[in-house]
Amino acid sequence: MADTRTLAFEIGTEEIPAFDLKAATVQLAKIMPDALDAKRIPHGEVKIFSSPRRLIAIVDDVALQTQRTVEEFRGPKTEIAFDEGGQPTKAAIGFARGKGLEPSALVRKEEGGVEYVFATVETPAMNVVDLLPDVLGGVIQSIYWPKSMRWGNMRALFSRPVRWLCALLGSDVVPVNFANVSSGRFTYGHRFLSPGPHEVSSAEELLEVVRKANVVPSQDEREQVIREGVKKAEAQTGCNAELPQKTLTEVINLSEYPTVMVGTFDEEFLQVPEEIIVDAMLMHQRYFPLYDAKGKLSNSFIVVSNGNPECEATIIDGNERVVAARLYDAKFFYEEDLKQPLSSYVDRLDEVVFQEQLGTMRQKTERVVQLAKCLAADASLDDAECVDVERAAMLAKADLVTNAVVEFTSVQGIMGSYYAQASGETERVARAIAEHYMPRFSGDDVPSDTVGRIVAMADKLDTICGLFAVDQAPTGSSDPFALRRAALGIIAIMQSGVDISLSKAIQDSLRIYEEYGLSFNVADVKSAVEDFFLTRTRVLLRDSGSSADAVEAVGAVGIVEPVLLIERVRALEAARDEAPDTFDDLATAYARANNLRDSALGVDYNSALFSESESALAQSIADTQAAVDKSLEIGDYHTALTQLAHLRGPIDNFFDKTMVMDENIELRENRIKLLNKFTGVFAGVADFSVMAKSK
Amino acid sequence: MKSEARGAANPNAPTFQDVIMNLQRYWADQGCVVLQPYDNEVGAGTNAPATTLRALGPQTWRTAYVQGCRRPTDGRYGENPNRLQFYYQFQVLIKPSPDNIQDLYLGSLEAIGIDVSAHDVRFVEDDWESPTLGAWGLGWEVWIDGMEVTQFTYFQQVGGFECDPVPAEIAYGLERLTMFVQGVDSVYDIVWSRGSDGITFTYGDVYLENEREYSKYNFEVADTEFLFKEFADREAECMRTLEAKLPLPAYDSVLKCCHTFNLLDARGVISATERMAYILRVRTLAKACCESYMENVVGVKDKASSKEGE
Repeated sequence: MADTRTLAFEIGTEEIPAFDLKAATVQLAKIMPDALDAKRIPHGEVKIFSSPRRLIAIVDDVALQTQRTVEEFRGPKTEIAFDEGGQPTKAAIGFARGKGLEPSALVRKEEGGVEYVFATVETPAMNVVDLLPDVLGGVIQSIYWPKSMRWGNMRALFSRPVRWLCALLGSDVVPVNFANVSSGRFTYGHRFLSPGPHEVSSAEELLEVVRKANVVPSQDEREQVIREGVKKAEAQTGCNAELPQKTLTEVINLSEYPTVMVGTFDEEFLQVPEEIIVDAMLMHQRYFPLYDAKGKLSNSFIVVSNGNPECEATIIDGNERVVAARLYDAKFFYEEDLKQPLSSYVDRLDEVVFQEQLGTMRQKTERVVQLAKCLAADASLDDAECVDVERAAMLAKADLVTNAVVEFTSVQGIMGSYYAQASGETERVARAIAEHYMPRFSGDDVPSDTVGRIVAMADKLDTICGLFAVDQAPTGSSDPFALRRAALGIIAIMQSGVDISLSKAIQDSLRIYEEYGLSFNVADVKSAVEDFFLTRTRVLLRDSGSSADAVEAVGAVGIVEPVLLIERVRALEAARDEAPDTFDDLATAYARANNLRDSALGVDYNSALFSESESALAQSIADTQAAVDKSLEIGDYHTALTQLAHLRGPIDNFFDKTMVMDENIELRENRIKLLNKFTGVFAGVADFSVMAKSK
Repeated sequence: MKSEARGAANPNAPTFQDVIMNLQRYWADQGCVVLQPYDNEVGAGTNAPATTLRALGPQTWRTAYVQGCRRPTDGRYGENPNRLQFYYQFQVLIKPSPDNIQDLYLGSLEAIGIDVSAHDVRFVEDDWESPTLGAWGLGWEVWIDGMEVTQFTYFQQVGGFECDPVPAEIAYGLERLTMFVQGVDSVYDIVWSRGSDGITFTYGDVYLENEREYSKYNFEVADTEFLFKEFADREAECMRTLEAKLPLPAYDSVLKCCHTFNLLDARGVISATERMAYILRVRTLAKACCESYMENVVGVKDKASSKEGE
């Protein structure tokens, strides 16, 4: 075992944003070993640590010397490498240069009966100490930041200014320079509890010094400290805390030395809808709300502090004042908003732009009302439901201009629902207003009743169709209006049992846009939107475990309705699972028939020319065609598939007994006509040839 | 402390004017030019020319000043303890940003009586972008025990021009900070001054009437026809001034346009579509002033980059 040392590298910074820090920690776990490997520096395990003011890599067993290596590379054939005069050609010169050699250093050797030129490259053993400065300097610059900045007179870019570098190989400092900062053997501790600088005697000591300086140096450890503190707080209050992932990640990366504390606010504020209070606490203050045993919001909350735990009383007092001020505002806004009926806010939606070319939220509201009425009619809702759909669509966006929603954006819809109830709207209308943004994310519930579902669909479809009409369809990773999520939402709602034609709905939405004065090519946009939905549906099916060939086979027959596509793919997979051999054989036979098929010949065969196996197949085709047509007519796709399976025996028998490409042209063409007829039976069901291909 | 009654100011805490004077002294000691407030309506200390224009170009610049800020739509007729249509910022701009700028900032908190090691002081990510100025920067809002008291920004671009070197901007909310220092829950309870004979003046004594009157004026009384005309006149005056290669007086007209627009907004007479158009008009003027400043004062003739952010 060669001589090794531990390598410790700390990039000390001003406070890095929480999510960027999390991503950088993940990156560093790859960047660090890759950088060492690129220089062939043998090393052991790489461990990454981080806190808001530092990124740390600890590498075990870093060899002090790289291995001397001798590598042999095969180049061009000798006959290509040298010209007739025995002089190296451009090919040989280029090859040698690529390996850092003169052409004269190339040697000739035979391999597999052919002579080639070979280059032997020797890399001598190098002192790792000499390599590390560049390696570590490169590591700093390899970290990708979503947003980076400059500071002072520097041209260097980093998430926030870099203020110190601690780089040690064993007990020796590795000299690294970045943005006018030179590395040393010093680290800095918690900004207030143990500021530093603190000397680090050797690489093995770095983490210990950091810990002693009141820094919990990893996300996992800080999360554990916080979760334990939360548990204690729950026991102390008899409440349960809610720790949403986003806020939790922020809180973990907003402190170097977290302490969980409990604060309270005046119970009077609990009269305000709890969603606003929770928004104020989670989004604005990064507090965790506490709920009582019945699941009702309590007037206690959790603060994760980065301060001195001994100053808990002061810190809590300050936080309580902030919450009180926020809730005072929230209560004021809520009470102001209640002074007018919800419907009075609809006109003011003219002040909110939906999209530059698509007008204001007021105009969107008008379109959504019209579209929702079309959808309600298509879904055969009863009169009372239709009235509620229209009313809910009209009021759905009204809360966007209320004070509470302007201030606490995450409560859109929910506040509208409170205001609707207070203004005497029906419960169903109020619920639809709250739920029309659903499903908000993949896997979220759909609105709980048909009225909410229709309004949600109309709202989402209006957004999709409008943005496609003004050429703002999502591209690559850019989907600023979250149209993909909207499409998946619509598909989920349709799957929940809203029986409408999406194709017609798209047509209706585009017609409304046209009437509203937007000019675009209706046919093009319609087909683009339909394609968009089908692509989303395919992705959805693949994500939920459907096989690629089944999705392709069903998709190939020109289905536009996502729900139909989903049902058929699932049915095909179910049928195939019940009788895998039958479907495999059928797919193979279909592929074979499909290859021989010649549509120019048509399907009018002459049964007089048939052999027994041909007659049997013809009969089976006729029977199956009739049965499949009937099944598809009543929408029974599964039965259609099982009926197709009946063709397996006859077609296998046909191919066993019959030579299709007979020399007799009359017989040959007659057989091809029969195969044309055979493939035709599958036409409305699925393209079985793609299922054979995948085998 | 928990045991203390809330509402009454801590008698040992610095007064509002002490806070201001301590900050001025502190930043003067760091080599800053202590300016007096700019005599024109601005929405934030950033908009004063000592920051916006002086952030441009390679010259070293250090300044600190109090700036009264007008935000007509934030008026609450003096009835909300936390919101004002006129309030004070303390603005610091140091170019290039010193390596110890965060420590300097924390030192300024100590200078106004905040023992930072006894509180939870945090730097929470907050990126700043001003579409009307063609400006952006990265930094934080600074929290003390959960209360946002300062915006801390490394300017990256102003008026479409890359800032090189990079200035650090520190903008303190003076009322919030003083409420924190004095432990009061209403801005109007802030003790502004305390004489040796015990006579005190509160923020309410000084500004409550102001808030009532201006809220009414901003929301109900301001003459919108006059304001529309003023906007157009000031826009024309700005362009005319720029033709004379005078970016500093031209910039005054930009500030007038901004304030006029804010008043029209408070009067509720600007629709959503118009709003965007007005913002664009102000941006065009602001960028033109920055360009003129770069050309005529800094001496750089490059066009501003079109990049608006990263």
